[in-house]
Amino acid sequence: MEREEGNIHNTYRISKRTILFGVVPFIVIGAMVVLLLNSPGIIFQSSVKPLPEISIEKVEFLDDNIVAFVRNTGPSEITIAQADVNDRIYPAAIEPGRTLTRLADAKVIIPFVWNRGEPYEIGITTDDGTRFHEKVKSAAPAPRPTVGQASTFALIGTYVGVIPVMMGLVWYPFIRRLSSNKYNFFLSLTAGLLVFLGIDALLESNEIAVNALAPAFNAQILIIMVAIVTLITLLYVSQRLIQRASKRSKPDIEYKSGYSSRSEPDLDLKDIRSSTSFQQQQMIRPIAISMMISIGIGLHNFGEGLAIGAAVLLGEVALSSFLILGFTLHNTTEGLAIVAPMAKSRRIPLAKLMVMGLIAGGPTILGAWIGGFLYSPIATVIFLSIGAGAIFQVVYSIGSWMYHINGRGGLLNNHWIIIGFAFGMLIMYLTGLLV
Amino acid sequence: MRTYSRIVVLFGVAISIMIFAISTMLYSRSSLSDQNSSKLDTVGGHTPGYPILQTTGDILDPTSFVIKPKNAVVDPMKYLREFNYGRISTSSNGTVIRDFTLIASDRQTKEVSPGVFYNVWTFNGTIPGPTIRATEGDIIRITLLNNGTKFHSVHFHGIHPAEMDGVFEGIAPGGKFTYEFTAQPFGVFPYHCHMQPLEEHITHGLYGVFIVDPKQGRPQADEMVMLMNGYDTDFDTENNFYTVNGIPFYYMHHPIQIEKNRLIRIYLLNMLEYDPLNNFHLHANMFDFYKTGTKLIPDEYTDIVTMNQAERGILEFSYKYPGMYMFHAHKTEFAEKGWTGLFLVKDGTAQSVNEDLNVTSRRNITNYSTSDFNKTTNLVSTGGVK
Repeated sequence: MEREEGNIHNTYRISKRTILFGVVPFIVIGAMVVLLLNSPGIIFQSSVKPLPEISIEKVEFLDDNIVAFVRNTGPSEITIAQADVNDRIYPAAIEPGRTLTRLADAKVIIPFVWNRGEPYEIGITTDDGTRFHEKVKSAAPAPRPTVGQASTFALIGTYVGVIPVMMGLVWYPFIRRLSSNKYNFFLSLTAGLLVFLGIDALLESNEIAVNALAPAFNAQILIIMVAIVTLITLLYVSQRLIQRASKRSKPDIEYKSGYSSRSEPDLDLKDIRSSTSFQQQQMIRPIAISMMISIGIGLHNFGEGLAIGAAVLLGEVALSSFLILGFTLHNTTEGLAIVAPMAKSRRIPLAKLMVMGLIAGGPTILGAWIGGFLYSPIATVIFLSIGAGAIFQVVYSIGSWMYHINGRGGLLNNHWIIIGFAFGMLIMYLTGLLV
Repeated sequence: MRTYSRIVVLFGVAISIMIFAISTMLYSRSSLSDQNSSKLDTVGGHTPGYPILQTTGDILDPTSFVIKPKNAVVDPMKYLREFNYGRISTSSNGTVIRDFTLIASDRQTKEVSPGVFYNVWTFNGTIPGPTIRATEGDIIRITLLNNGTKFHSVHFHGIHPAEMDGVFEGIAPGGKFTYEFTAQPFGVFPYHCHMQPLEEHITHGLYGVFIVDPKQGRPQADEMVMLMNGYDTDFDTENNFYTVNGIPFYYMHHPIQIEKNRLIRIYLLNMLEYDPLNNFHLHANMFDFYKTGTKLIPDEYTDIVTMNQAERGILEFSYKYPGMYMFHAHKTEFAEKGWTGLFLVKDGTAQSVNEDLNVTSRRNITNYSTSDFNKTTNLVSTGGVK
């Protein structure tokens, strides 16, 4: 009894010391901060005024005026002095006010009768006379959040997101009847499609990060960060989803698999417990993977919707039917990606397929609304990165699933897998040329 | 059951992050319009039929705002008709001697356009520097005190000895030098600092007008001086602002008042850097142009004159009809970046002036409800009544 108490005491003393060691660095840092802030000039001279930095994040063309959304991305407070259109000074209003604290934003409204389709350059001059400007390639009226405009975006989203995914789902019966090698081919083709989408999302978000966002946001690091965090979070979620599903499922569910018996001998080496869990996983995993693919593609399509809406808003895209057709063809492959893993499992009810299709395609509409009405480059970058992370998680799931069904052979042992993967990326590249 | 709830929590976190992101976007939009509506200012409407906007925010409008005199680099209204004849004395042989003092400075930051601050280099604190005026044959003595941090000088155009040319001898910071020469010939001349780098010393504002009158004088007139310049406030060798007499758009909200049928004489000088040409165009009228002002016979009868840097001349005209008339660079880029002004031609009688003002200021009063602009319209009205 006494000895136990002593142990507890000892542990307590040690943890107290540990806490002390944990706190000391913070005290030192705090002291340094106080010293540096309160004694400027002792260590570092700061006689030069930091240069102002403004980013014009968005330019909107409204009925009788041009609106520029500006953000102070410099190191210190900024006062805006003047605005110009095509380098000609015009009276303007700035809301909420002309003084912007660090990272604060404001709306500069310039009463101006602009001409549709013409390029414009909007300039903002700060109080030290520095002029910042943003070019708009072609002035187009900003979409207003009206019922008409919202339904236009919904229609675009349906064409670009929902219909193609649903069309892809129609391949389900076809894929079910494929032989093992062809199934491998289609699975790796799916992985190829998705890798292309993931890289595409990363490049797209990088482009926005470089062109539309100020260096102050460190947006390129943010892309990688968000993508990785999304990837590992979704890996964890999908793992839990599968575990949960296998616990709940009954062992005597019908199980149709023509070739998975090939991997049965491996199981003999393992203990009986893992054998049953593996068998259950064989049934559950495809559906879980397909669900994760739907979610991943849904996130991706949300980002795509944002980009489409923003492009309409920024006047960069005249939404022609050709362009929409291109997107439709490009996205049809996404439906294929969803059904491919489920091809050899038990029959999936149509309703469930529809739900998956909606999860994958529906967010395009939502994305187009948000992108078109409330475009924000930073949010677009974040959502595209989430989409990329989600896609790579799906690729990982497909990869590990293929590894399972191929048993000892591994992934790179089957030429159908290599061809399928390459072909998947090629399809995306070729249909991407239409967009 | 535990894993299930964890998944729920994870999804919850993911969804709330999404909601946070979306609501942030929404907030950044709504926060802009969510202001107290008690303060409503109006902006726009300079051109008839042009959109007018009400705002809860601040107004950025160099075309109708008055710079606080404390900050402004010059008072263009004062500069317009201010001629400095110097401290006058007479030499033993009876020649008039005119003594002037110029103080060069390069440390001040002043407002060159509303809200825009620029490190100005000045003679006597203003851009343009003071107008120096003498009669042909006078002895001019200009004492330059260098109150700046760099070497400066004064280089006058005209005829004078080499050592008085202000090119090879710079005046050190804290130094002093007196330039002495005879004013010849009659005409309009620029003076400016001639230290290297020349472009830097000129663009920062070290220049002014030097007028030499002919001995017999010129006919009586309402005389004014106009110096055309620009400011490159972001140092990209392109002017951000163009002005006449130092502040962009100043004579748009402070029209120059002149009388109907009275002879107007403008001593015009172009000191614009970077742009090879500048010009002056007068509305609804024609003028006699005396190139460089060195002859008494006009060279041209025109409504536009184009000049390179340091070119100058004398314009003479009078207005036949009362009303508001524009004058500006007919290089429209310069006009729309500040080199624009107005003449308000009065009829002489108070009543008709009021009528004119009603015509011209009706537009302003309806379009500008801002307190700042009311001040300027008031300035116009009271001036007109007088």
